[in-house]
Amino acid sequence: MDRRTFLKTAAGTGALAAAGGLAMPALAQGAAAAKTLRFVPQANLANFDPIWGTQYVVRNAALLVWDTLYGIDSKFEPKRQMVESETVSADGLTWTFKLRDGLKFHDGAPVTSKDVVQSLKRWQARDPMGLMIKAIEVELAPVDDMSWKWVLNKPYPKMLLALGKNNAPCTFIMPERIANTDPFTQITEYIGSGPMKFVRSEWVPGAKAVFEKFADYKPRTEKPDWLSGGKVMMFDRVEWVIMPDPATAAAALQNGEVDWWETPLADLVPILKRNTNVSVDIGDPLGNIGAFRMNHLHPPFNNVKVRQAVMTALNQEDYMRSIVGDDDKLWKPMASFFTPGTPLYTEEGGEIMKKKNVAEAKKLLAESGYKDEPVICVVAQDMAATKSMGDVTAELLKSIGMKVDFVATDWGTVGARRAQKTAPGQGGWSMFHTWHAGADCVNPASYTAVRANGEKAWFGWPDVPAVETEVTNWFNAKDMAEEKAAMGRLNKAAVENVVYCPTGFYLGYQAWRKNVSGVTSGPFPVLWGVTKA
Amino acid sequence: MLAFIVRRIITTIPVMAFVALFVFSLLYVAPGDPAAVIAGDQASPADVERIRASLGLDRPYLVRFAEWSFRVLQGDLGTSIFTSLPVTQLIAQRIEPTLSLMVLTLIFAVSIAVPMGVIAAWKAGTWIDRGAMAFAVFGFSVPVFVVGYLLAYVFALQLDWVPVQGYTPLSQGFWPWFRNLILPAMTLGLVYIALIARITRATMLEVLQQDYVRTAQAKGVGQREVLFLHALKNAAVPIVTIIGIGIALLIGGAVVTESVFAIPGLGRLTVDAILRRDYPVIQGVVLMFSLVYVLVNLLIDLTYTIVDPRIRY
Repeated sequence: MDRRTFLKTAAGTGALAAAGGLAMPALAQGAAAAKTLRFVPQANLANFDPIWGTQYVVRNAALLVWDTLYGIDSKFEPKRQMVESETVSADGLTWTFKLRDGLKFHDGAPVTSKDVVQSLKRWQARDPMGLMIKAIEVELAPVDDMSWKWVLNKPYPKMLLALGKNNAPCTFIMPERIANTDPFTQITEYIGSGPMKFVRSEWVPGAKAVFEKFADYKPRTEKPDWLSGGKVMMFDRVEWVIMPDPATAAAALQNGEVDWWETPLADLVPILKRNTNVSVDIGDPLGNIGAFRMNHLHPPFNNVKVRQAVMTALNQEDYMRSIVGDDDKLWKPMASFFTPGTPLYTEEGGEIMKKKNVAEAKKLLAESGYKDEPVICVVAQDMAATKSMGDVTAELLKSIGMKVDFVATDWGTVGARRAQKTAPGQGGWSMFHTWHAGADCVNPASYTAVRANGEKAWFGWPDVPAVETEVTNWFNAKDMAEEKAAMGRLNKAAVENVVYCPTGFYLGYQAWRKNVSGVTSGPFPVLWGVTKA
Repeated sequence: MLAFIVRRIITTIPVMAFVALFVFSLLYVAPGDPAAVIAGDQASPADVERIRASLGLDRPYLVRFAEWSFRVLQGDLGTSIFTSLPVTQLIAQRIEPTLSLMVLTLIFAVSIAVPMGVIAAWKAGTWIDRGAMAFAVFGFSVPVFVVGYLLAYVFALQLDWVPVQGYTPLSQGFWPWFRNLILPAMTLGLVYIALIARITRATMLEVLQQDYVRTAQAKGVGQREVLFLHALKNAAVPIVTIIGIGIALLIGGAVVTESVFAIPGLGRLTVDAILRRDYPVIQGVVLMFSLVYVLVNLLIDLTYTIVDPRIRY
């Protein structure tokens, strides 16, 4: 019996015991329990500067502590959040924003336009859309205590999306003195104007993070929908409990010691579903896109025909089943680079991705002049998804006659090695596996992985001018029809040139105790509006 | 004796310096990049480079080692790359759970293993002996995480006597502290029961064949006195040694146990730090572990003089 099977069995027997009424859920529930939410996040909150470190777990915690200027809703439309009103000049060059009245930081100081301007400057330095705005910026300055203006030398139609998107880093507003910190240096004071205060004295990185309700928070009156609307916290206290072991988290949830588990292991979900005290549903509806990237700088993948051969041989079902198992609700094939089910999703030009064709792949490989160069396939074994995908890829490459040098390592090493531009035989690499949050792949705005601007591109450094042209066209699009047209052409160019290889779209579950109400699906855990009986 | 203690402590300094140099060098040559982890997956190589520079990771090895050594000599273990918290603070936050787990495990293991080993030796060859040793082999053979899950299933999930996970500081009362720790201590203790019981049995078997034991029995001294006062005292040196070594081994075993029971101890701190390449934390923890190891060995040496007065330093 391997460890994974054992975990399943151990957790399963626990579930049966709980379902049979043997376990009493009263263990950790004290008198104040209804006012405290115990939440098991996807990962450890190891640092707490959402601009300096852009991991999702940091963004998720930051959404409690810092408010944003705008917030996207489930239709991907940016809605006002801290902002009361905005105006844009007829030429589209001058934006003027006004803050809502009565916004306060956790230290009691009012939120002013100086805080906003400095926070935006820090954000700009680290955000792809922020950098684009910076490149066309003439002035970003306060007008008075409540207003500020942003003057550009070229219109930027996606301004509100940039200020309201949920991709890290978001436009978190900090007091000016904190926002003065260099964006490449971590802040040490965690004061925001969001619905919860961070209790630094109780923070044990790797174990626990605690948030307390901010009494002076002034939520919006609209209905909450993802990052938009009123963020009304129903708990006095939210405790994030870090649990590295999935079987322990499953047992703690069954036993009522925690209330909500953000990312249950797929293997344990059937067990949780059998427990009458636990609800299970899809967590992030935007899911993830599995991916492997090929190094466009060196043989063999500097040859587009070799890349096309690999994409032709690829069967997304093989990859997805290796990640999510037999649960068909959890995955979808995608003849696209974009997130399925979102308004701009397109499969234009994606025919090659729809059908595995090994014979055709071999033909393409032969035409490419492939000289039997070994493919240095770097795989992080400490991440379940990358390990599964790596194993599938190794077989795929061998099946079409490629030589594979499989480098099994950890994520930290992959992170360092993939930055190497040297040849595969000299410390470089040919391919590595990863995944992208579906929320980042809705459109080109924060989709670093689809960019193909050579030296400036993400690891693998694809250089495809046709892709970049369509990215620009999308940013400049004046309406939905133009956006869709640009996205279609972008997808086609990305497929033809194999910017990278999407391996499929997959979802994950979240699980919570049935006495917790108001849990919704979202690209991040939405803790506001949730209650506990 | 005092001179011996002082001498031993002084001799630990070069040992620890070597350990520090070794660990520092190992991390330097090991692949992995904390800046890449911090920057997140969407960051550009330029972003990663700037973070690396801001953390001082782009400076030469010798400069970094010299600076770190200088700070360590002043009692400063540096600042965590990830949390920006002092390493001493991180260790202080985590030391109580690990120490608690170690102490409770030792009490649990020794209080069962020593009598078990003595009785097994006394009843050598009988079903009691075979049963005790079979239990010992089981304890040693079953992985810690398997024992942990089984105990959690029975005592936490099925009987609901204790929590599945977590840690309550001793300052919040003995009972909450004990309830959280008893399962992890039993889990980890099973390995040490096996180890200590087997050594105790073997040593006792040897001692029980000595003339003075026969003499004591001939004089009509009671069996319990013969076993626990005469024989056990003379078998104590190897048992104390194995208990001491066990303490050092506990540090390693605690890593898995702390993960299974979600205890925020030093084991988890170390694993997290290694996975993220948080160099100052790794260095600080390793340095502290080596100090603990040296001190435990010193304590073992000192204990010898108590259990066997013939030993003098």
